[in-house]
Amino acid sequence: MTTISLISAKAAELRRVFDQARAVPSSTGVEVQTESLLAIRVARDPYAIRVSEISGISTDKKVVALPSPVPELLGVTGLRGAIVPVYSLAALLGYGQETGQVRWLVLCGTDEPFALAFSGFEGYLCVPQAELYSAEQKDVRRTFVTHAARATKMVRALVSIPMLREAIQERCRTSGVPKEQ
Amino acid sequence: MWTFGRKIAAGFTLAFLLLLGIGGIAYRSLDLLANTSHTVTHTHEVLERIANLLSFLKDAETGQRGYVISGEDSYLEPYKSGVENLPKVIKELRELTADNQNQQKRLDQVEQLAAAKLAELKRTVELRRKTSFEETVKVIRTGEGKKYMDDMRSVLGQMEREERELLKQRAEEVETASSGAKTTIIFGTVLCLLVVTAAGFLITRSLSGQIGSAVRHVQSSSAELQSAANQQASGAKESATAMTEITTTISELLATSRQIAESAQRVAHVAEETSSAARTGDTTVQRSHDSVNSVKRQVDLIVTHMLDLGKKSQQIGGILEIINELSEQTNILAINATIEASGAGDAGKRFAVVADEIRKLADRVGGSTKEIRVLIEEIRAAVNTTVMATEGGSKAVDLGARQFVEVTAALKQITELLGTTTAAAREIELSTKQQATAVEQVNIAVSNVAKAAKETEVSSSQTLQTAGQLAGLSRELIRLIQATASA
Repeated sequence: MTTISLISAKAAELRRVFDQARAVPSSTGVEVQTESLLAIRVARDPYAIRVSEISGISTDKKVVALPSPVPELLGVTGLRGAIVPVYSLAALLGYGQETGQVRWLVLCGTDEPFALAFSGFEGYLCVPQAELYSAEQKDVRRTFVTHAARATKMVRALVSIPMLREAIQERCRTSGVPKEQ
Repeated sequence: MWTFGRKIAAGFTLAFLLLLGIGGIAYRSLDLLANTSHTVTHTHEVLERIANLLSFLKDAETGQRGYVISGEDSYLEPYKSGVENLPKVIKELRELTADNQNQQKRLDQVEQLAAAKLAELKRTVELRRKTSFEETVKVIRTGEGKKYMDDMRSVLGQMEREERELLKQRAEEVETASSGAKTTIIFGTVLCLLVVTAAGFLITRSLSGQIGSAVRHVQSSSAELQSAANQQASGAKESATAMTEITTTISELLATSRQIAESAQRVAHVAEETSSAARTGDTTVQRSHDSVNSVKRQVDLIVTHMLDLGKKSQQIGGILEIINELSEQTNILAINATIEASGAGDAGKRFAVVADEIRKLADRVGGSTKEIRVLIEEIRAAVNTTVMATEGGSKAVDLGARQFVEVTAALKQITELLGTTTAAAREIELSTKQQATAVEQVNIAVSNVAKAAKETEVSSSQTLQTAGQLAGLSRELIRLIQATASA
């Protein structure tokens, strides 16, 4: 089979799946409780973020660096018409500053929003609740991690955004820097 | 120093001179004896003629007396014989005594007396024939006839005495010459013997020393010759062996030359066939060169098309980047829509479903985009590889085209060289044949030399044998000389 024919077959498959999705009923009657997750990679380690804990995702945003006593603060950027601080997720998780390009941002919170920057976004995961475990169950002992999810034959540490928010606020208070708006 | 020949010649010359002197004297004596003997014989002839003359007169008188007595003619036969032969005898006597005046004068008297006697006999015979016996006896008794006969006997006696005197004188001369010759021969022979003996003694004594020395030299030389002959025989034997080996080697060389000539002939034949094949190859190469040029043009066209394909695939890659970016953005939007829908409560559930489908579609598009990118990258890599390979092929074709030109030139050079090779092979063939002929001649010559060496070997053996015989002869000669010297 040639490459052109492969591409044509792939396009036809996409068209068929999309049409089929639109053709079936929206509900099958038995709903399985699931958790939407964003699969990310921090310093080459697999992590996940609950979609319910963030308010948006963006990419390739310009981050303006600011002088700050908080080393995890990369700078500020404009998201949805507001200026939000951007923190390095790798630095907050204890990996230090990432060397590569940090092009992904997740927006967290709505009242006091802040953004977390990371380098790798691997996709959207819809994991059944049964596949969610406590960190102790999967022996995942890391900071800001309370649970772990098993998806695509891989166990990912779930980063707790509320814990990160509290940690950032605590650091801002201890460093004497006024809270960002 | 006198040589052997000179000494021997001197001795023989002296002996020859003595013999010549003796011989001269002997010859002179013999000549004198011969002359004397001749004169003696002459004297005896004269005496015989004188006796004959008297006898014929007696016969005539006897016939006259018989006829007178008998009156028969048969008694006249002695008369007639005497009358007939008497003048002949007188004539012979005159010739025999022509150098003696006294005898000539006496012959004149004899001739007159004979004529008178014959006339008297004739008268008496005629008278007896005409008359009687008695008349005839009367005439006879006159004594005329007797007187003539007495005078005749007297004159013939004088002649005989003179001849006897001459005979005696010549006998004395013969005796004198004979005794002188005997004396000369005896003394000359004795003198010659003495001289020859002395010369022989001197020559022998002189020659025995020199010959002895020479013979010793000959003996030592013969020993050396024997040694040299031994060495020569040994060398000749080695030469004969070497010549035999050389003959064998030359025979092998001859066979090799013939093989080389045959090989050169085959090489020339193969070179001619190769030259023909090279010409055919030249034509084939020319056609191949045209084909390669055509291939080169096709390869250039392929390269152009592949470069276009590469550009097109690059453009597809760009479009794919856009699609990927769009799917990524769609994915982000779908995620954000899902977040917003979850914030909207139950009202946002259906929207959430749509957003989820859009996200899934974006995910699939992204996955497909990645797969297509991989495929496009593979296509680009294949195109690049193909372009590089095609360019390499084009370069190889260019190189091949240039090499075809070089091959064409090389084939031409090969053809020319093959011509040269053919000529050289023929020259080699010819030269090798000449060489084979020369080697045959050399072989014949060497065979002759080998034969000569064998003959030399035989000759050396003969020389050795001769040297041995010479040494033996030298020893024998020395023994003889020493024996002679000691004697």
